[in-house]
Amino acid sequence: MQDIYIHGGAMTRFGKHPGVLAPELAQQAILKALDDAGVARGEIQAVYCANVLGGMILGQLIVRDLGFKGIPVYNVENACASGATGVHLARHALLAQQYDTVLVLGIEQLTALGGGTIPLQRNDHKTELYAKAGMVLPAVYAMRGTRFLHERGTTPADLAAVAVKNRRHGALNEYAQQRSETTLEEVLASRMIADPLTLLQCCPSQVDGAAAVVLGTRRRGARKAVKVLSSAVVSGLREEARDDILDAEITARAARQAYEQAGVSPGDVNVVELHDAFTIAELLYYEALGLARHGDAVALLHSGATALGGRVPVNPSGGLLAKGHPLGATGVAQMVEILWQLQGRAGARQVPGARIGLTQCTGGGIAGVDHAASSVHLLGV
Amino acid sequence: MSEPSYPLWRNAPEPALLASRDLDSGELVFPALSADSPLAQRHEIVPLAGVGEVYSFTVIHPSPKSGEAPYALGYVDLPGPVRLFGRLCGQPRPAIGDRYAARPDERFGYVFEAVLA
Repeated sequence: MQDIYIHGGAMTRFGKHPGVLAPELAQQAILKALDDAGVARGEIQAVYCANVLGGMILGQLIVRDLGFKGIPVYNVENACASGATGVHLARHALLAQQYDTVLVLGIEQLTALGGGTIPLQRNDHKTELYAKAGMVLPAVYAMRGTRFLHERGTTPADLAAVAVKNRRHGALNEYAQQRSETTLEEVLASRMIADPLTLLQCCPSQVDGAAAVVLGTRRRGARKAVKVLSSAVVSGLREEARDDILDAEITARAARQAYEQAGVSPGDVNVVELHDAFTIAELLYYEALGLARHGDAVALLHSGATALGGRVPVNPSGGLLAKGHPLGATGVAQMVEILWQLQGRAGARQVPGARIGLTQCTGGGIAGVDHAASSVHLLGV
Repeated sequence: MSEPSYPLWRNAPEPALLASRDLDSGELVFPALSADSPLAQRHEIVPLAGVGEVYSFTVIHPSPKSGEAPYALGYVDLPGPVRLFGRLCGQPRPAIGDRYAARPDERFGYVFEAVLA
């Protein structure tokens, strides 16, 4: 199969950007990504713009003044998996030889919403009924947390330890919104949001950010060539009456596809950026991604294997918990982090000698499914 | 959204939440499908059992600025089988396995009330 390369990437700092319009924020990431890739604007043949809540034809607005000369712009929305889905679709077009060089952009301005939880897609009787009763994403993850503590005989401190690890990583990342370390005591003592999840166990919801990558079919540049080894996007199955809410079925299915496509096993992965929107999510995804056997997630965390310096560091960027989660930008920013890690450009948070990296995004927002969309990518040098 | 176009409750002989049962697979869908749904003809509307067990739950602590008191939410597994989400009332903190019964509620359509021994 045709090799697909990530020529370069960039992101803005994730955080509050008051007074900055979406096009300005996104253009920062685009221009830096083009520069990083050594690709001229005239070489880009198509743009994939991932965004969730920014309104219609945002991609065209963002590129209007960039001189892309009327090339196709595809606006992509798939909840939290939007950015990864943009990369997935771009790869399809490159494999089909429709284009040879494209740009994928992710952008979100959550501060424009004024805070609070991400709204659900309520154009549905079930979601409307459940949302009226109080279903929000923190509640969904909190119920997983409650069940996890019940079945696994673990404690809230085991959940909180995920936040401590990722905030320690985030303190090393100049692009993260939260750049200070925290302690187990601080995490557990922060305000209860949705029992057992406290405030510091939820990714910040007041955050803006953009990220961009340039993909192509030909090897170029002097740096180590990073290939997209595999790309999976799947959708949630309708929930059944006695589903196990701890099995992260949609994510495990996406991961199986990605590993099979790449001919890679979980033990081959050196670095992971996964969707830790809440602390419980990271533990469930250790098992769904095959990093830990069923029942071993907490033991893997406490072993130090997933911290910087461990066997397979997870979320060296700080993850969503430290970096923040500007929905459409998240999946692309994960790719940027893995690109930098595989090319030895991650500074103080570098995973030495990393050769294979994994990214995972899983997005929700409707009732009646585990999640709506999940995407797993494997990148390698 | 405007008033729901699906039936939520059967009122007689005693109140029961309603679901749609797939005529082929027997699987239950809650809430029941609207009569306007193109899938409605492949389903029949059936009453659900009134009492089930908590599969998991959370207690939401609204922002202090809201002035709203904490409230419990959860999944309740009913015979059928079917799993419903809703407010858990009657005790401040539920436990997994606790028995709860559905009852009509003006604000939410229904809530679950703890069945105390």
